[in-house]
Amino acid sequence: MSGGRKGRAGKRPAARPGPAARPNALTDVGDPVLRVVSRAAFALVMLLTALLLWRGHNAPGGGFIAGLMTACALILHRVANGRCALNFPPLTVVPWGLALSFTTGLVPYLLGRAYLKSDYGYVSTPLTGEFEWATALLFDVGVYLIVAGSALHIAYELIDVNPRERVEDDR
Amino acid sequence: MGLMTAAVALPFLMAALCAALAGRLGRATGVLAALAFVPALLLASRTGGETLSETTRWVPDLGLNLVFRGDGFSLMFAVLIGVIGTLASLYSVTYLSDRERFGRFYPYLLAFGGSMLGLVLSDNLAALFAFWEMTSVTSFLLIGLWHTRSSARDGAVKAFLISALGGVALLAAVAMLGLAGGSAQLSQLDLDAVRASPLFVPALLLTVLAAATKSAQLPFHLWLPTAMEAPTPVSAFLHSATMVKAGVLLVAKFGLIFSVSPLWSGLLVPLGLATMVWGAWLALRQNDLKALLAYSTVSQLGLLVSLYGVADAEGRFAATTHLLNHAAFKAALFFVVGIIDHETGTRDVRRLSGLRRALPVTFVVAVLAALSMAGLPPLGGFLSKELFYETMWHQGPLFLAVAVAGGALTFAYSARLLRVFTGELSAPKVPHEAGAGLTVPAALLAGAALLMGLWPALTETLTRTAQEALAFASYGGHIRWWHGVTPALLGTLVTWALGAALVWQAPAAQRLQERLTPRWNANLSYVLILTLLNTLASRVTARTQGLALPDQLRLSLGASALIGGYAVWQAPQVLPRLGTVPLEALPVAALLVAGAVGVALSRNRLTAVVLTGLTGFGSAVSFLLMRAPDLALTQLLVETVTVILFLLVFRFLPGVRDLPRTRGRLGLDLLLSAAAAAGATLLVMASLRFLAPPISPYYLLNSYKEGGGKNVVNVILVDFRGFDTLGEITVVAVVALAVGALVRLGRPGQAPPEVDAEQLAAPAPRRKP
Repeated sequence: MSGGRKGRAGKRPAARPGPAARPNALTDVGDPVLRVVSRAAFALVMLLTALLLWRGHNAPGGGFIAGLMTACALILHRVANGRCALNFPPLTVVPWGLALSFTTGLVPYLLGRAYLKSDYGYVSTPLTGEFEWATALLFDVGVYLIVAGSALHIAYELIDVNPRERVEDDR
Repeated sequence: MGLMTAAVALPFLMAALCAALAGRLGRATGVLAALAFVPALLLASRTGGETLSETTRWVPDLGLNLVFRGDGFSLMFAVLIGVIGTLASLYSVTYLSDRERFGRFYPYLLAFGGSMLGLVLSDNLAALFAFWEMTSVTSFLLIGLWHTRSSARDGAVKAFLISALGGVALLAAVAMLGLAGGSAQLSQLDLDAVRASPLFVPALLLTVLAAATKSAQLPFHLWLPTAMEAPTPVSAFLHSATMVKAGVLLVAKFGLIFSVSPLWSGLLVPLGLATMVWGAWLALRQNDLKALLAYSTVSQLGLLVSLYGVADAEGRFAATTHLLNHAAFKAALFFVVGIIDHETGTRDVRRLSGLRRALPVTFVVAVLAALSMAGLPPLGGFLSKELFYETMWHQGPLFLAVAVAGGALTFAYSARLLRVFTGELSAPKVPHEAGAGLTVPAALLAGAALLMGLWPALTETLTRTAQEALAFASYGGHIRWWHGVTPALLGTLVTWALGAALVWQAPAAQRLQERLTPRWNANLSYVLILTLLNTLASRVTARTQGLALPDQLRLSLGASALIGGYAVWQAPQVLPRLGTVPLEALPVAALLVAGAVGVALSRNRLTAVVLTGLTGFGSAVSFLLMRAPDLALTQLLVETVTVILFLLVFRFLPGVRDLPRTRGRLGLDLLLSAAAAAGATLLVMASLRFLAPPISPYYLLNSYKEGGGKNVVNVILVDFRGFDTLGEITVVAVVALAVGALVRLGRPGQAPPEVDAEQLAAPAPRRKP
């Protein structure tokens, strides 16, 4: 198994060098400059992601875009630091996202309206002023989780491949 | 939510609950699972009354609704499923090994129960088909439950392939019926229109095919015996009492539509009788008790198909009576075989004898059930066999003769089954009587078989609950012990005489059977067809898909040039004028073209990827110019992720090789790329001319009012076309799984934990008290 495999599992990877660790450019911690810059960039991008997801209903943004951006940020973090910022495999959020989107649609159906019919309303609080809530946001969060989880899963799987690893049918 | 909807929905919900709780509950999950059938059992209280109808709207625009229609026959069948399902769940509690994965077994079982209930109650043709397919899928999962055994895998695949064939036929049949009859509901089809339609005969033939595959009629009977790889409670539930009767149900219900054609009974009666005799003949040859029961089920299904295939009041009456009897005695016998297997560790007739001393309760149950199967008084099987002979006599003496031959063989294999109880005690391990968890379900069913025999009036009342639905209310006959000296009685006497002779001369009969074993059988042809198909598929794939990428590209570009060119030639497009090109578009266009040309010229993968990115970012800019910030942002991010993924993949690829091109091939490639460019340009220009009024103003007007959002693109995605989005994100998730699996392909993975197949197959010893 490649050295990167332990990184993906995520628990405490740096402390546990695999027995068959081989050099893998993307999982060995490299450039210190990149590492420092990536930290700030990571935080900024994640903040931007949250903003995009939140305002998606009324301004450019939305779950798909936010999901891709999250994936980019996490890939950057992974490449810079050699380990994943998440302590769980990204694929695990995908079924939750699907379930969230699906059930968001199911609720209006069970209430006798069309499947996925969204609802929205306005709440006024003294602190925030008028504030809109929409069930579509929940649906969008599901989209966000699926897109981010899927993109990260694919990227991490590819990072974990060790080019020098021999597999069964190699000649 | 009505009771019928609850009866169908609850098993599915409980399946999820069982899957979640199985880790904590262990074998007690079965008790929870049994609760799922409570609404189905409660349906028994509605059987006497009017036809129930419950509609749950789903996609009304497409005629897709969950319509459940509870006529007498459907409700009777649903209650039957509920009874057997409850008993099978409770029986499994004691039967299964401690190491069984309860979190899989019970959810599969319940999902099957829900699908089967949906199938019998559904009135909507599309839903009928969907439930039909779901029973195939759940049956596949249950047969393959012990998938570490290759025989279980083969059996599961075989059962699935054959029932999938029938499923496709059923889909076509219900589509034809819906088109011809002008309704998506079975009960509202315009029967005269259907009968006058040219689709009538194709629909009839396809229905027969579907029923024959599901109910294991010749030559599709081969899947049922191998399906016995499933645990015994599953065999009792699915492969004797319920799922295999789905085909019978289809013959019964659709017989009301198709019976006007002589083709219907002309096909089904001989098919059913042939299956009955051949199944019984094969059953007599088996040494494995479960295989014996499997072939016996094939035979009994043939009997039912022939009776419903007659499609008159008498046939339906007799068939419905036998349907009830068969469910009782066959499920009881499966439970008995399960007990024998559980207590002795084998099902081989040759290794077992004298079990009556060790298993007295099981012995009594087995005798009652087997005598009912053989058609002996005072059991229910006798009554329905009389009705069967009577019906066949009315078809003609030849039919009765064949039926009697089948009956005699049935008598003989029932006796063979009971042989394990007689003689000196002999078994691989010393058997003890099974606990109440195993004997009570079997005894209840055998008691039902006895009761239906001792109390003909009760049997008739039960049968007559289906009389309105199956149109045999006019039938004047009654279930009685004594009908006078009739041809049916003579047939019964001949059956007993022949059967007794077969039992008495058992060794001679066995030798005869061995001599008559055909060298060719259905199983061999199944394997042959499968091998041929696989070979054909791999050849076609190798010829068309195994080419080098440039060749593949040439093929697909060439094909689209031909098709598109033909379309343009047939209907020349009037292209709109381009209008003026805005000045700021020029640098973007230059960027795009530069990127494309650069990719073609680059001799290095890294350069190629970066240049491809250039075209992507160029498109993003052009979206911005057209004031579509959402699209631009999405394009930008997709491009970024794509470049990252490309780079990750390209680490492992060898450098770019220059494929040598001959001069002719170079010309061809230039021609192809010019054609592709012209085609793409034409396509874009053609799309500028709106053929229908655009729908975008609707979204602009309504997105704030209906969806509460000012970002129209987002409102379209999450609200107006939310269902599309749901489908798309599902695709994204599946793609992620597939890519993950592909990347891992060929890597040393984790071997599944070693499971001792024999240990799993032979259920664990009973729990210590």
